[in-house]
Amino acid sequence: MSLTELFPAIRMLPRADKLRLMQFLVIDLAQEEGIPLLSADAEYPMWTPLNALDAADTLLQMLHTHQAEP
Amino acid sequence: MITPLRFAYADTAAGHTDGSRLAYVPITLRQATHMLTAVGLLDTGSTVNVLPYPLGLQIGLVWDQQMTRVQLTGSLARLPARGVIVSGQVASFPPVDLVFAWTQSSDVPIILGQVNFFMEFDVCFFRSQAAFEINPKGEVR
Repeated sequence: MSLTELFPAIRMLPRADKLRLMQFLVIDLAQEEGIPLLSADAEYPMWTPLNALDAADTLLQMLHTHQAEP
Repeated sequence: MITPLRFAYADTAAGHTDGSRLAYVPITLRQATHMLTAVGLLDTGSTVNVLPYPLGLQIGLVWDQQMTRVQLTGSLARLPARGVIVSGQVASFPPVDLVFAWTQSSDVPIILGQVNFFMEFDVCFFRSQAAFEINPKGEVR
């Protein structure tokens, strides 16, 4: 199927599908060129325990108890 | 009076940009008769210190003997963690008690965070020079 044949079908698509098509093309081109993109399906590790406040309280209490021991 | 020690940022991914350099500090951990020298990541965003599982084993910790359970956040939230206290020494500074969340993850570096590494050491970052300085708390140049 040629691009010319595709255009009428693309025009018929609802707005949301047109946006999805654009997104698909951008990702496809980026992948072909080896440009890494974040994927909604993938998981990216974030090791930093940010705002681990309960853990911090527990550990501090543990440390204070340890240091108070004779 | 102790003069702060200056360290260079470490290149964590050769061939990448300057952004791949991170603040890793050599640290010696001691627990009972065990001793381990490693590097820890200075992570000001981390609420706690984190000890990866294999390094805990190397300094003689036994998982089932650690009774204090802690809940981490981020990618480490899905793995169990236990509180442990070990002695930590940076260079020739006096050793201090460091409390760690000992995680079952082996993918993570030693993370030195707010509780309690940054409570024990004053750290000054000079990121534009890819360097940082450390001295024990309360010790003024």
